[in-house]
Amino acid sequence: MNDVVKIDKISLFLVNTARAAAGADRLKDIEKLAETILKLVPKGASVFCPQSTKLEKAAIGKLSRMVPDYSSANITVEEVSAAIAETGSIVCDSKGGKSLQASLLPSHHIAIVPREKIFATLEDFFDKCSGSPPTNITLITGPSRTTDIELELAIGVHGPERLDIIVV
Amino acid sequence: MRKQTSLNFRANAVRAIADSSLRGVVKKATGTFSSKRNIAISKIADYESLRKKASAVREDVLENLGTYLDAFSSNATRAGATVHYAVDAAAARRTILGILSSHNAKTVVKGKSMVSEEIQLNEYLGKEGISVVETALGEFIIQMEDEAPSHIIMPAIHKSRQQVGRLFADKFGVEYSEDTQVFTKIARQVLREKFLNADAGISGANFAIADTGSIVLFTNEGNGRMVTTVSPLHIAVLSIEKLLPSLKNLPSFIRLLPSSATGQQITSYVSIITGTREDGEMTGAKELHIILLDNGRSEILAGECRDILKCIKCGACINVCPVYRTVGGHSYGWIYPGPMGIILTTLLTGLANAHPLVSASTFCGACDEVCPVKIPLVELIHKLRVRKVSEGFSPVKEKLGMRVFEATARSPFLFSSGEGLAKIFWPVLGSLGGEDIAGRLPEPVKMPFRRRME
Repeated sequence: MNDVVKIDKISLFLVNTARAAAGADRLKDIEKLAETILKLVPKGASVFCPQSTKLEKAAIGKLSRMVPDYSSANITVEEVSAAIAETGSIVCDSKGGKSLQASLLPSHHIAIVPREKIFATLEDFFDKCSGSPPTNITLITGPSRTTDIELELAIGVHGPERLDIIVV
Repeated sequence: MRKQTSLNFRANAVRAIADSSLRGVVKKATGTFSSKRNIAISKIADYESLRKKASAVREDVLENLGTYLDAFSSNATRAGATVHYAVDAAAARRTILGILSSHNAKTVVKGKSMVSEEIQLNEYLGKEGISVVETALGEFIIQMEDEAPSHIIMPAIHKSRQQVGRLFADKFGVEYSEDTQVFTKIARQVLREKFLNADAGISGANFAIADTGSIVLFTNEGNGRMVTTVSPLHIAVLSIEKLLPSLKNLPSFIRLLPSSATGQQITSYVSIITGTREDGEMTGAKELHIILLDNGRSEILAGECRDILKCIKCGACINVCPVYRTVGGHSYGWIYPGPMGIILTTLLTGLANAHPLVSASTFCGACDEVCPVKIPLVELIHKLRVRKVSEGFSPVKEKLGMRVFEATARSPFLFSSGEGLAKIFWPVLGSLGGEDIAGRLPEPVKMPFRRRME
């Protein structure tokens, strides 16, 4: 029974990320991660990755052009701290020295979400983060967008114009 | 300083109605917003009980505002922020200037904030030699045109793509375009440099959380994230009623605010900022100042219209308002338009500066229906109309007319004589009226309703 609920939560998360115009993929195990990421990275693009988790280290296995600073990178690849199925959001926070600008400055953000970190609802997530939260928690849902001119949707204003999410 | 022109509402409205380009874009935008809002709301499970819950949370906040403000201040301070209380616009401006001067900050990037418009911050800082760049696309556009926002969510709603195309060609020497994606790219380039080199960032906030001392920002473009994290100095300016008791209350408002505002399930970004960068952290301003602006709100809180302070600034009431849809935002003559704007403008600037606004409602009740926190907008506007009359702000002609009507309506004889006379003298009355009411009223019917009942 528990398993069924879990599967539903992940599927719902993926459907909602796609609805928010983010690319979404789901991998059974870590083996395929490097190959999946390689396909998302255009030839010659520079990639920043904090390389501080097992998933992040595995993710960049096949990439050739890594840069140490996100502000000059075309793409950021990183593991995010949580996700919310109900809204298709990923959650980045400043815990453990993570920089939120890594998911903001480059024009393409690739987020890796461990499946056990997906919360079903907004309540499930926020019930866990009261007390003393880290300096910055940001829920990210889809790419940066605006409809400020005649309500026409334009993607990629100041944040990333492309967001890809991979559930592992 | 840009002057408030609410007293000229009628003249402003006449001018706006004559501008067909303006009417076109406003009609399209409000119509699209409203239908997107309806679709988004229809997808929320049990919307009515969510709305009741959110309304109760906001009522509790107003009821115990002092307690929540104290808790917010001490928790934000503990997290490393400096909290300032500003009694009015001048105090807020002085405090902000003081902070910027003490850091020798000369360039500021700014996120969209209606409270900063309320205190006319940009103009003030500009005069003090500090350059402030608006970074939200709509605000960026109207700042270049030196215009006020005409909507609280979409500040440049009154601009057509042709106007923006000409502005960009003129300001940046680029080829004329009508493609919003092109405008977006240009803004990204121009502003990226400003973000990275600014001395300070100024933002507003959608909510402040009492039990953690956090501020919460709902944004779509990413400029809000830039403004609050890239510069070492961040100043957030917000009005005192923006509190929520706890982060646990946030889910309700995440569900209600974006759906009511733009019809989105959630904005691209929801940022929760708690204090300053700690040792070992790589994100967040090194110094955060939070300005809590009163500017008359304590007085509103103590009065009969206090429910307006429940407002979460979604703009849904503006989009459905038949008056706003016809006359646009600038007609209201200040920064808050539509039903919520009529009430806030009148209360914050005083009847003496805004009394014509209280007539800018048909009392159709569409605003009440869409308000996500159940503010009785029509009732509040009605209360202000009563005050307008009792405090002597109605025009002499109107007062006289009402006296005559009162006397006539009380006497069946006078009333039916009036009907007879109106039929005979109607052509004369109509021509006398000119732009006034009589000229626009429908002709009297041959057989009055009352007579048909006999």
